[in-house]
Amino acid sequence: MNEAGLKPAVTLPQIFALFARIGLTSFGGGLSAWIYREVVDRRAWLSEDEFLAGLTLAQILPGPNVINISIYIGQRLRGTMGSIIATLALLLPPMVVAVGLLILFRFYGDVAWLHNLLEGIAAAAIGLTFSVGYRAARHATRTNRWAPAVLLLVFLAVGVLRWPLIPVVLCVAPVAVLVARRQARS
Amino acid sequence: MQNDNLPWQLVLVFTPLSLLSLGGGQSVIADIGKQVVDIHGWITEADFVDLFAISRAAPGPGSLLSTLIGWRVDGLAGAVAASLAYFLPSSLIAFAVARVWNRYRGQAWQGVLERGLAPLATGLILSGAFAVLLSSSGTISIWLIVAMSTAIFILRPKLSPLPVLLVAGLAKVAIGNLF
Repeated sequence: MNEAGLKPAVTLPQIFALFARIGLTSFGGGLSAWIYREVVDRRAWLSEDEFLAGLTLAQILPGPNVINISIYIGQRLRGTMGSIIATLALLLPPMVVAVGLLILFRFYGDVAWLHNLLEGIAAAAIGLTFSVGYRAARHATRTNRWAPAVLLLVFLAVGVLRWPLIPVVLCVAPVAVLVARRQARS
Repeated sequence: MQNDNLPWQLVLVFTPLSLLSLGGGQSVIADIGKQVVDIHGWITEADFVDLFAISRAAPGPGSLLSTLIGWRVDGLAGAVAASLAYFLPSSLIAFAVARVWNRYRGQAWQGVLERGLAPLATGLILSGAFAVLLSSSGTISIWLIVAMSTAIFILRPKLSPLPVLLVAGLAKVAIGNLF
């Protein structure tokens, strides 16, 4: 760690290469899970707690969550340039691909097998997100014994009952932080 | 309706939507449709559904929908205008928050916040995936693919996701609409 509190190990080209690859290969949605897998599991650039705190912020703030978490990670690793590089690398390459697809779909949009292919890919991407949720849950439970209760509460409210995300987060967050603080003391 | 300065009109539509997209891009998709189809009449409803499908099919964030709408409305200039207006305002806020947050790295209170917020974020991750699953066609084959890929990704945390996704896509093509 240097005095600005940034980790010196990761370079800007490494950030660019990783986020461009995620942007171009992350079919099926659920990009936060891709980023978690690459940044936490495979490269250990961030700890699980750091990533998940960033993801909570990313979800509360306006803007697409994936963009916000990329800004947070880039900032954390390499400051201002890091967040600019991460965001542009994640956005610009798939932008070109999306416009290319738009032009192609004018001709091939009605093909049934293409629809099935995309549906299968999206289903596997849901599995990817579930697996990240499972790993994050296991980790959170290890450091915080109230984690399963908080997790279930949020999942019931937002996932099952479809309550709006922001009020739920604003109500649950203070309680979740208070019980975590109690535990840290004892 | 005047068509002379479409990029600027796209900026005026997408900038407020960027700032209102609390909780992520999905929260304003319906409003985007309302603006570009009903209010401004730039594209048809069918066009919007097509563009939405393409934004899901393409790699990268689904919020590239804004880029596609810009492109359909006014070509390259429209795509640039809509993208900047949709991504830049919220990103500046996220950057300011990230900077403040990361400045206080290593402080004890931040560790407490992180440990407290981790299960909350996890609940939101699972909720998001669950919502996508419920909005899918929900056939048996889809549930099977979801279950199998979940197991594979849990058992092999360092495996690259892309091959698994491609196999899943091809499997669904092979199965077709049988089940």
